[in-house]
Amino acid sequence: MKAFAKTLFGDAWNIIGVAVIVAVAEGLTALHHADWAVFAMPAAGLGVIAWLARR
Amino acid sequence: MDWPAFLPLFLTASVEWVEAFTIVLAVSLTIGWGAAIGAAAAGLGTLAALTALTGGALSLGLDLHAIQLVIGVFLLLFGVRWLAKAIARQAGLKPLHDEDAEFRETRATIGKGDWFAAWLVAYKGTLLEGLEVWLIVVAFSLHSQAWVSNGLVALLALVVVCVAGVAVHAPLRRVPENAIKFVVGAMICSFGSFWTLEALAGNVWPGGDRSLMGLALFFLAGGQALAAVLRAQSRHVAV
Repeated sequence: MKAFAKTLFGDAWNIIGVAVIVAVAEGLTALHHADWAVFAMPAAGLGVIAWLARR
Repeated sequence: MDWPAFLPLFLTASVEWVEAFTIVLAVSLTIGWGAAIGAAAAGLGTLAALTALTGGALSLGLDLHAIQLVIGVFLLLFGVRWLAKAIARQAGLKPLHDEDAEFRETRATIGKGDWFAAWLVAYKGTLLEGLEVWLIVVAFSLHSQAWVSNGLVALLALVVVCVAGVAVHAPLRRVPENAIKFVVGAMICSFGSFWTLEALAGNVWPGGDRSLMGLALFFLAGGQALAAVLRAQSRHVAV
């Protein structure tokens, strides 16, 4: 079951990283700046990828 | 036919089937080809049942935005992991995936076990490697409803890998796995970002679906730049 979950979701750091990306998108959308999210979300994605790659 | 999904789906499935093939090949040397193929077929059957069940359950009129959000987040979970791993490997921070080492490890694991334990290794290996294929098939099919054609693309990748594997009768070590994972990771991150934000904020992407191309280029170029920076940093630390 653990292997099943890890295959689907990745490890805890991966989940935290994606939560940050979604929070950026959701936060800007809630603040009525979804047009900024178009740029901020991919940038956050790349930032999270950099963080995960260094771990 | 869901053409935008073809390449990411085919490449993802190919990489996963190569890894599953290595495990099944290692197991076949202990319990024979027939039993190993039987275990792999059982794993594939479980995946097919899972796909059919998911397709049926998710076609029951659930909220489209909720589904799109879930798919987007799942694709991000998957794409971010693959791209980060590919960048770390390209930068020399992690060793490249080695099919020969995987083969040896599987042989060592089953060398001590009995027939059923070896059968289970092949079944579990096929099922776990195939789970990522299932995830991608489900994600793309929910968007396009092209369940059959997307499933067939995954099967096509399986046939290609099996034919190549049987032809060389060895682990498929010459497949450029990291390069494929890099490209697929970038593509999946693009689809994940696109669908997640579209589910949260509506049609905000400039140019609609055409933004996907820009996103893919962003993640590919950004990923390459990151790999170069990380490689330079690791060399600097080593010196």
